[in-house]
Amino acid sequence: MGLTAAVIGVGGLGAPASLALARAGVERLILIDDDVVDRSNLHRQILFRDADVGRSKLDATVDSLRRAGLKTHLDPRPGRLTPANAAVIDGCDVILECSDNYATKFLAADVARLRGLPIVHGSAIRFIGTAFAVSGAGGPCYRCLFEDIPPGAQAGCDVAGVVGPICGVIGALQAHLALTAAYGTLISLDGLRDELRVRSIPARAGCALCGSSPTIDAIDAARYHPVEAEEN
Amino acid sequence: MAVIVRIPTPLRSLTGGNEEVHVEEAGTVSDVIDRLEVKHAGMKDRLLDDKGVRKFINIYVGEEDIRFLDGLRTAVKDGEQISIVPAIAGG
Repeated sequence: MGLTAAVIGVGGLGAPASLALARAGVERLILIDDDVVDRSNLHRQILFRDADVGRSKLDATVDSLRRAGLKTHLDPRPGRLTPANAAVIDGCDVILECSDNYATKFLAADVARLRGLPIVHGSAIRFIGTAFAVSGAGGPCYRCLFEDIPPGAQAGCDVAGVVGPICGVIGALQAHLALTAAYGTLISLDGLRDELRVRSIPARAGCALCGSSPTIDAIDAARYHPVEAEEN
Repeated sequence: MAVIVRIPTPLRSLTGGNEEVHVEEAGTVSDVIDRLEVKHAGMKDRLLDDKGVRKFINIYVGEEDIRFLDGLRTAVKDGEQISIVPAIAGG
């Protein structure tokens, strides 16, 4: 399969997504991450072993996928996706956004749209997760669904916790959506109710990124900081 | 009969951990939120700002996003399910 996928974040979602894509025969994986393996990651970040604690997640991911004997060419790009280095995803056919923070999610959404690349977003926390596939040709996009970065501090998996299998399911669904190009599809998993919901999301005419009069036409670093919570 | 509101995990601290809340005598989504606020103080502020539904929150009546219906004026019927879907960031 002559496909190159860029995986932003090789943690709870990126690990199962990368494994699924590699086993599906994707030709090249661009892997982007700036973190190191922590022991608390091991229950959900399925490519890592005890001996990887303290190592770069990229190094551990590459080693793990190579141990599996897969033929996929692995292209690790150390660092976090930032407004200044968006070119790190150059050469890919599809992006899998597996990051753990809003700033990167919105940045990846904007980068994908402005470069005309399809992107599959994933999120998971506690018992819930979502996967959402966006076409490179236009909406519905992530900003059709969630217009801007929520204010205030976010509760990530390190604080709020996440059930390991939720990440496995969502990461695998991201790989599935990337391979099937089921754009506009939002899949939500509620692990407490054992409920998987699939919704078709319409594009929003007033969307700042893909609407009829878009206002986001370039990557502006100031856009990717959470706005301050309003005083009440 | 009542409208059934599905409460997402981040907002369950306001509902005593309940994942569903039943709201009676509500004709629109706006009514539902007002009644939620009476039963669970603080809910309205988490869902709305001075412009309407907060940008990182989606509210569905059944399977339809209210932004594509009549917004907060979207009618609701007894037995209908309302889902609140916030952006989540973990990965």
